[in-house]
Amino acid sequence: MDVLLVGAGPANLACALQLSRLIASHNERMRQSAGKPLEEVNIAVIEKASEIGAHQLSGAVLDPISLRELIPDFESEGAPLEAPVGEEHVYFLSTNGKIPMPILPPPLRNHGNYVVSINKLVRWLGEKCEDAGINVFPEFPGAEMLYDGNAVIGVRTGDKGIDKTGKPKPNFEPGVDITAKVTVLGEGVRGSLTKQMVQRLKLDQEADPQVYSVGIKELWEVPDDRFAPGSVIHTLGFPLDSHTFGGSWVYGMRDRIIDIGLAVGLDYRDPRIDPHHEFQIFKTHPLIKDLLKGGKLVRYGAKAMPVGGWYTMPQLSADGVMIIGDSAGMLNGERLKGIHIAIKAGMLAASTILDALVKGDFTRNTLAAFDDHFKQSYCGQELQKARNFHQAFDRGRMFGLITAGVSTLTGGRLPSRLPIKAGHEHLRKIDGNGEKDKYEGLKYDDQITFGKLTDVYYSSTHHDEDQPPHLKVLDTNICIDRCTHEYGNPCENFCPANVYEMVEAGAEKRRLQINFSNCVHCKTCDIMDPYQIINWVPPEGGGGPNYRNM
Amino acid sequence: MSQGILLFIEQRDGVLNRTSYEAMVAAQGIAAATAEKLSAVVLGKSIGGVASEVATKKLDGVYVVEDDKLAEYTSDGFTEASRQVIQKLDPRFVLLSHTYQVRDFAPRVAARIGATFVTDCVGFRAEGSDVVFTRQIFQGKINTDVRVNGAPPILASFQAGSYRADKAENGDAPAPINPLEVSLSDVQIRSQAEPKFQEAKQAVDLSQAPLIVAVGRGIKSQENIEIVEKLAAAMGAEIAASRPICDNEWLPMDRQIGSSGQTVSPKLYLAVGISGAIQHVVGMKNSQTIVAINKDAEAPIFDIADYGIVGDLFDIVPALTAEITRVKTEG
Repeated sequence: MDVLLVGAGPANLACALQLSRLIASHNERMRQSAGKPLEEVNIAVIEKASEIGAHQLSGAVLDPISLRELIPDFESEGAPLEAPVGEEHVYFLSTNGKIPMPILPPPLRNHGNYVVSINKLVRWLGEKCEDAGINVFPEFPGAEMLYDGNAVIGVRTGDKGIDKTGKPKPNFEPGVDITAKVTVLGEGVRGSLTKQMVQRLKLDQEADPQVYSVGIKELWEVPDDRFAPGSVIHTLGFPLDSHTFGGSWVYGMRDRIIDIGLAVGLDYRDPRIDPHHEFQIFKTHPLIKDLLKGGKLVRYGAKAMPVGGWYTMPQLSADGVMIIGDSAGMLNGERLKGIHIAIKAGMLAASTILDALVKGDFTRNTLAAFDDHFKQSYCGQELQKARNFHQAFDRGRMFGLITAGVSTLTGGRLPSRLPIKAGHEHLRKIDGNGEKDKYEGLKYDDQITFGKLTDVYYSSTHHDEDQPPHLKVLDTNICIDRCTHEYGNPCENFCPANVYEMVEAGAEKRRLQINFSNCVHCKTCDIMDPYQIINWVPPEGGGGPNYRNM
Repeated sequence: MSQGILLFIEQRDGVLNRTSYEAMVAAQGIAAATAEKLSAVVLGKSIGGVASEVATKKLDGVYVVEDDKLAEYTSDGFTEASRQVIQKLDPRFVLLSHTYQVRDFAPRVAARIGATFVTDCVGFRAEGSDVVFTRQIFQGKINTDVRVNGAPPILASFQAGSYRADKAENGDAPAPINPLEVSLSDVQIRSQAEPKFQEAKQAVDLSQAPLIVAVGRGIKSQENIEIVEKLAAAMGAEIAASRPICDNEWLPMDRQIGSSGQTVSPKLYLAVGISGAIQHVVGMKNSQTIVAINKDAEAPIFDIADYGIVGDLFDIVPALTAEITRVKTEG
């Protein structure tokens, strides 16, 4: 391969599509000017999901600015848009009431934007890529990076057909080494290859630690047109405590579908917090309950998102490799948007790759131009303006709201750069005497609220049971000896898919059971584990959630 | 000059391997497209029956290679015998079905005679008198065309299932059967076959069971499974389980009911200590009668149960077992 893109999300698909066009127009120019056109360039995208888009989850409201650049007539070309954003509200919720925000905060103004399903949008982009002759291979997870010295030369894909003890099964097929002149990591949030590589090549030396939120999302079908397509509600407050960053979204989609979700900052203090439970409680607020009444749950999912922004982005390129999209932290936490940035980053990366192909130089010397171009682009500038947003909430909600407000007015300027630390370091230890269950008495009515296991069913996640767990816990003794006493095994709480369970193992003994086949690939465990001993790696290709319309 | 097509037929103990007929469909197609003669060859010992069976097909001839050293399959014997056969007949194409045996000996043969071997093909297409083979790469994601420029013979094997064995054409008259001599006296057979064995019993098919007793997490420990097994035995029912039981390997995974296990619809499904998570329910909700025993009156299993007992399974199950045994013995 010449160009290998890992992960079929908006960033990489935009990159592949743009690159194929840039190459075509470059060759056309060369032919006309009697210059030398490029020889055939092989572009391939690999994706761990069973089909393109199946692991994509987002709100989402799309700022169409970069899609318009990529595909100017995207509306008439059949881009799957739910509706242009119509009526918009932002509320601060108390337990039973709501206070409308006197003015819509500028970052949350969505006029001119579209409510979309990222999963549908990505499927559509995938078709565009295939039409352009780009090979997209689903069911191929990247297992490890291939290096020559410190230069990236490609990716080894995951083995297939390994049983749970690690032995090959009759259908065993070893992973393949795909070498490429340039590898683009657009793996999404907390990419497993990106994580390995950033550490190895020390690409985060000058960056603050990334911080994340996890979004818990459900799709509901309601019996009437009570919530028009394109309607948008955002809320703050209930049910999250004042040390927990986050808020909700409610978006109107086509065909009487309501898209509803809660983002919970993965830098909360209380280790008993369970984002799934918080979301269930959120739905009991009168505002939401009335909206969903008589409707039915059709889909569930969860996904982490990087919210640290500008100061937390790693170096975006190194020898033979570039990082784009959520993998590089390209999300504006203040506007709750990243798809447009991912698309723009993909397009800019494509320009740099074309230069590299023309020059025949794939080292950082050439690729570093991407870092600059991205930072100077309108998307880079947008991130730069929002650079202190999440950081302001590092000290709680009140400080955050005020500081973020000031920061918006000053275009991001504050007297000093605000410090930030990794989310899991915020976790406080539990009271040694045993705290009572934070969610004592929480009951699910199976009408509006659902237990975690039931919700997981609605993610349609599936993994072959006979394979090694893809959640690698480096030392399970820590779970039993230390974590139970210090943090009360928060993995049972933060995982929105019931993967982690401490089960009785004989008299007064417990052990960690990993129900890996429940995993929805949100990456929260890898992020929030207080000891950082959980390592998320991709399972056998094709495993994972099967999101539709998410 | 090399000409004709030679198809290898696989047999074991005088029983034909059906995939040979699948490869024969491809071979007949190639013969028709290239106007080459098609012969089949069978290797083994006491294989007259297989040869006559094969001769009913539309072929120009069948060669039979019999030797004591071919009575059992061995790499050494079959590699050398095949090499001699190919050398004697000098065919343009050598076609095989992609079986375990073929995977073992055919690459060796190809290496010894310096021929090209196109493995695991799923199709072919004729281009003039040339044949282009189709095979899969990237774990079956892409089909690729392979054209061989080297000297004949060209070896090619076809993946099982690429063609339908019942599409192999019968001949108008039986094809002539000719013995073919090979000399294996110099061949040293270095491997010896172990007694044949059949993989132990097939996975349990619970979908056919009229009565199922399923046990869940409420059973608490492996030792307690026994009381449920006794109940199942008394009822003449199959035992099944929800996921946590199989995760703990207290019962084998092929006993698991639910979205990651089997789906069943017996006449009677007795759920013991199963809470009724949706993942389990989707595997058994179509049972005709569902009976649930659970100590939690709010367990969702009671939402779908026709009969429910709220109580301690450790009291109820033994009592039920005793009662069923009593009724059955007293008639």
